[in-house]
Amino acid sequence: MIRRTVMPVASLAAGAVLLLAGCAGAPEAKSEAAEPDARFPVSVDNCDHDVVVESAPERVVTLNQGATEVVLALGLGDRLAGTAYLDDAISERWAAEYEKVPVLAEEYPTHEAVLEAEPDLVYASYASAFDKGVAGDRSALAGSGTASYLSPFGCPEEDQRPDPTFDAVWQELHDVAALLGEPDRSQSVVAEQRETLDAVSEEAAGAGLTALWYDSGDKTPLVGGGLSGPQLILDAVGAENMFEDVQRGWGEGSWEDVLAVDPDVIVLADASWSSAAEKRAYLEKDPVLSELTAVQEGAFVTVAYSESTPGVRMVDGAAAVAGQLADLGLQG
Amino acid sequence: MATLAVLSLVASAAVALALGSVDVPLSRVLAVLVRRLGGDGGGVTVLEDQLVWQLRLPRVLGAVAVGAVLALCGAVLQSLTRNDLADPFLLGVSSGATVGAVTVMVLGIGVGGLVASTAVSTAAFAGALAALAVVLLIAAAGGRGLSPHRTVLAGVAVAYLCSAYTSVVVIMHGEGDAARRVLSWTLGSLAGLRWESTLVLLAAAAVALVWFSAYAERLDAFTFGEVSALSLGVPVTATRWVLMVATALVTATTVAYAGVIGFVGLVVPHLVRPLVGHRHVAVLPASAWGGAVLLVWADTAARSLVDRQEVPIGALTALLGVPVLIWLMARRPRT
Repeated sequence: MIRRTVMPVASLAAGAVLLLAGCAGAPEAKSEAAEPDARFPVSVDNCDHDVVVESAPERVVTLNQGATEVVLALGLGDRLAGTAYLDDAISERWAAEYEKVPVLAEEYPTHEAVLEAEPDLVYASYASAFDKGVAGDRSALAGSGTASYLSPFGCPEEDQRPDPTFDAVWQELHDVAALLGEPDRSQSVVAEQRETLDAVSEEAAGAGLTALWYDSGDKTPLVGGGLSGPQLILDAVGAENMFEDVQRGWGEGSWEDVLAVDPDVIVLADASWSSAAEKRAYLEKDPVLSELTAVQEGAFVTVAYSESTPGVRMVDGAAAVAGQLADLGLQG
Repeated sequence: MATLAVLSLVASAAVALALGSVDVPLSRVLAVLVRRLGGDGGGVTVLEDQLVWQLRLPRVLGAVAVGAVLALCGAVLQSLTRNDLADPFLLGVSSGATVGAVTVMVLGIGVGGLVASTAVSTAAFAGALAALAVVLLIAAAGGRGLSPHRTVLAGVAVAYLCSAYTSVVVIMHGEGDAARRVLSWTLGSLAGLRWESTLVLLAAAAVALVWFSAYAERLDAFTFGEVSALSLGVPVTATRWVLMVATALVTATTVAYAGVIGFVGLVVPHLVRPLVGHRHVAVLPASAWGGAVLLVWADTAARSLVDRQEVPIGALTALLGVPVLIWLMARRPRT
């Protein structure tokens, strides 16, 4: 198995050498041919793990939707040899490109299914992707010639994870683009996202509004806290997150606090396991919560779950919230 | 003694009503109650009324009802099976309910037009009844009218089958935080109880108290053993059927609304017997009282121990229950 994994790299290298030999005199040709590969080796420090890539990865396997979408956003879908595990659906803008990539499994593929895809880079959003039964330990992968990258937000240890910021999201894009040997790609994607974000901030559609970010749960709501994608999005649109003082990504809120604050607007996360419609129906049916001003006035905003977690789609989430807030025309 | 019991329960409930993530002083709590009960509340705000009357009171009364039901069922089943370790979930009710709940929560199989939480309750109740039916079928299959031994074994077998199903579904099909949600459901919670559900629970508690008390003398006879009970003229088999089905039904009702809250039913009867003796006419109401007080306090701890996070109530009752269980085992080393 190990030999098979190394094969494409080896044959590529061999091919390059043959090509060189055919072209010109050895010494000059060598330095000339090395030119396009001047970007390599690339090494990136990732969750206290040194990722070293010797040549452009051509068979990337992405696990988890976030990782898949980063590669697609960079316009490098043709490098994907396989992908697995969606949370909801790939953003429409990349759907066509995604269709061309083999899906290894609905959720996590087995270890053998990962090896069968012969990846030279495994890129995942969550540490669980490197469990034994899935892609396997990262050092072991490196030993058999497969590099790996884990989204910094998914690092196994909490102190390895960056605070969620747009800059941290963009750093991941830069890392991945560098590992794939296309650093320019992330520059242009980030520039575009920065522009969208600036426009959203300028518009400040949520100025003066207090918002509840209602992720899931009914008996006690799971809400977006102060260290979360929702916080960044609400900051961007100029609204106040009523649970900003919950110092974590997602945390349990209390309906008592929600009643006491009576937020101007409720943002509903839309996920396959907890749809926005379901949550809205619950709020409207509950004898107490239905008396909230936002519920009475239908001041709801809906955001796809994958646009609400720190990742390449979070800017889309901010734009979606801004657009819907503007449509609601609430007075802060 | 009865007055003391009622007073302690009312005091516990009053304290519980004053605690929550939003500060409402005890005097305002009383004002809300007075206004609602027809008196002059003196400028109760809408928010105070929502917090105390609509959110906290149903939850506190729900704790009273669930605690009473579980402890009553525990007392009845311990006598009926002459097994110190019998608890209300003996007949597969909890594992069956979990199967129902998981089916809705994880596989997302809806129950026509119901919102998620109601669908989970309904499915849990249905699952509990199905498991109960299977347990009784297995237990009764040998004739000999529901021998306690066979019933306990059947309950264990069905519980294992159900937990196998639950694990497979969660591991194979769980999306997002499914495992977390299933675990938190399994540990029980009184959060989110509203009047609608609480009235059902209070009715179940009242029915259980009255119904089981009517069987107090027969249960006394059971504690001397099946033969003695028969010689005292107790219709052993019929009594077993009625009481086992009745305990399972009221337990299933609590599980549908509050999940599986362990140890209350196991431990409370053992705690009250040294206080009131072994006659069921005293043990049953005392158990109901003990279960109610215990659960009111456990629930208060569940929602106020950790800021902004509910501690699973099943974990708190178990933390209390395990030492008592160990003490029981040490005290009575017979099998």
